[in-house]
Amino acid sequence: MIDFMLAAVVSAFLNIVLLLIVIGTYVQNMRVIRSYYTSGLVLVAVLLMIQNIVIVLFWSTLYMDDKALMMSADMVSHYLFAINVIQSIGLSVLVWITRR
Amino acid sequence: MTFRIFFLMFVLSLGFPMFSFSGIIPKNIFHVTDSFTGKNNSEINRRFKMILWAIIAGTRGGVNRAKILNLIKNNPLNANKIATELNLDHKTVAHHVKILSKNKLIIKAEKNYGAEYQLTQIMTENQNVLEEIMEKIGTK
Repeated sequence: MIDFMLAAVVSAFLNIVLLLIVIGTYVQNMRVIRSYYTSGLVLVAVLLMIQNIVIVLFWSTLYMDDKALMMSADMVSHYLFAINVIQSIGLSVLVWITRR
Repeated sequence: MTFRIFFLMFVLSLGFPMFSFSGIIPKNIFHVTDSFTGKNNSEINRRFKMILWAIIAGTRGGVNRAKILNLIKNNPLNANKIATELNLDHKTVAHHVKILSKNKLIIKAEKNYGAEYQLTQIMTENQNVLEEIMEKIGTK
């Protein structure tokens, strides 16, 4: 039996790393080209990063502390896992496009 | 019940306002700056503008790509001369030129090794987009 919650959190960490790479490139570009486009890219990437940080925080605090919540979260954790893995795939493609 | 259905069909036949996305999205949403005015086919130009912005502002080394496009805008150069002019590594320029060719922004004048690169048709037609981006680079 796979622990989907743990797998989802590993995926969220992976997303954070991928987003750090993307944000690094975007910020470098924003420092040279100041425009709504470059700032928008940074904003979108930062918001996605916040989303993944929230997932990690949820797992490390709420989920770990509350046994009842842990039970109910485990029942739907495969959905969270699917969402995060799909996001990881998408972000990998974005990193590939951005860094090549 | 039957009357209701007939009434509904009647209303629909009158041209009941249907839901449409194009109605709620403002048409000039991407025209943030006024400097871009499409010549004849504004739909293609608008999309091209987004592609050019993505390649220049959304990728690593995009600024150098913009500089390459700006350099060969008026006089076609080969990869070696581009590297000398921009003071860049030859391998870097070769990579950028490859990406720009793949995205149909520049094209080799001839097929041989040291051939000069020049802007493609669509890139030449939309030089104002490039100028707009170059202005932003110039001001920092």
